Amino acid sequence: MAASADPPVEPARDYPPELARLPPGRHGLPREFVAHNQRERLIAGIAEAIAENGYSGTTIAHITRHAAVSRRTFYEHFASKDECFVAAYDTVMEELRERVAGAFEDEDEWPRAVRAGIGAMLAFLAAEPHLARLCMVEALVAGPVVVERYDAAIQSFVPYFRGGREGRPPEVLERLSPTTEEALVGGMVSLISRRIIAGKTAELETLLPDLVEFTLTPYLGSAEAAKVAQAS
Amino acid sequence: MRPSPGRHPLSREFIARHQRARIISALAEETVEKGYRAVTVADIVRRAGIARNTFYENFSSKEDCFLAAAEFGVNETLRQIVEASGKVDGWPARVNAGLAAFLRYVASDPALARLCVVEALSAGPASVERYEESVQSFLPLFRMGRKLCPHGEDLPGTLEETIIGGIFWIVYQRIIMGQAEQIEELRPELVEFSLAPYLGAEAAKRVAAEAPPLAS
Repeated sequence: MAASADPPVEPARDYPPELARLPPGRHGLPREFVAHNQRERLIAGIAEAIAENGYSGTTIAHITRHAAVSRRTFYEHFASKDECFVAAYDTVMEELRERVAGAFEDEDEWPRAVRAGIGAMLAFLAAEPHLARLCMVEALVAGPVVVERYDAAIQSFVPYFRGGREGRPPEVLERLSPTTEEALVGGMVSLISRRIIAGKTAELETLLPDLVEFTLTPYLGSAEAAKVAQAS
Repeated sequence: MRPSPGRHPLSREFIARHQRARIISALAEETVEKGYRAVTVADIVRRAGIARNTFYENFSSKEDCFLAAAEFGVNETLRQIVEASGKVDGWPARVNAGLAAFLRYVASDPALARLCVVEALSAGPASVERYEESVQSFLPLFRMGRKLCPHGEDLPGTLEETIIGGIFWIVYQRIIMGQAEQIEELRPELVEFSLAPYLGAEAAKRVAAEAPPLAS
């Protein structure tokens, strides 16, 4: 599988404190490492609570229990469960975006950069099933404010693909429609979300060759795209 | 379809069906405004202009109503796609006709389309399951394209899923930007997007340039 060529998931010390505190995934920081910052604990707490109960089933009491803070402390930081979720969502997405950007920028050629970026996204989500669920599935449940952020976050991946237009021959540029990149991102995210919902988060990295071929084909043609997708 | 007023009295069945449709569209509109979770039965009842009892004669809960709305939307879309694509021959022309019918339906009821395409993922496990079923029901319509492709066997196994996801995403983005009325203009682009992996970019463009059959 092409995924084996990807760099291993970053160790826990590279996580921002909110995420490093989270128990799911492979980093497994002991409780002693728990950041003392209450806000961070609450953000981590909501992610744990949601992993257990889903967004709708999560109460403030669940969050404060996981965060080991009082209800009063919760309300000193957040006005509502929704507000706490927004903070958690933003933290996870920032981390995901940074990983994608880092992997993308490490490659010189655009097709390989796309492959690295998608690989980094799949690796992060596969290693952090609870965070994957939070940002790709539960975000949609959490009401209009988060849905708006979700939309903006997904659209923020469009420019990576749009870069593929640079230096393409005129006949290729001419047939690329203005919505090509949006459709590619939407198709990719939709597939990932459905796999997470189906409980196949751990296998997300096996999607890498398919997603690379799908996203590169409009720019490179299917033969060339397949070659990049299968390259190790 | 609508019985002309005055000539025959409205049947009980017609009224019931009409009421159901009205409740469903009230739910869809409320959901657009507030998101599914925040919508209450009281909101739906108020917008539909019906009694609370009438709501409960038709649906057991908000979730029941939501599932009925999503089912209605998906079935209606599929029916119109099948009807439109049956008017032309050959898979590429059918995709063209089917997408035209799909977009026409979205333009005619953006709130319900949004409910089916996006909100369905936010409305609990039963709804998510239904959403998955609806995606699955669209898959074969595209998968047929593999037979027309010399390297059909080698295409990514998830190709149809990503194509459908891409189409839904574009449609969703246009709806939230308030551009549902112009959504039919996207037909050529989406036809190309759907056909290019199977037929190549040139042939896909040629099909997309053909006008699909008009709505009946």
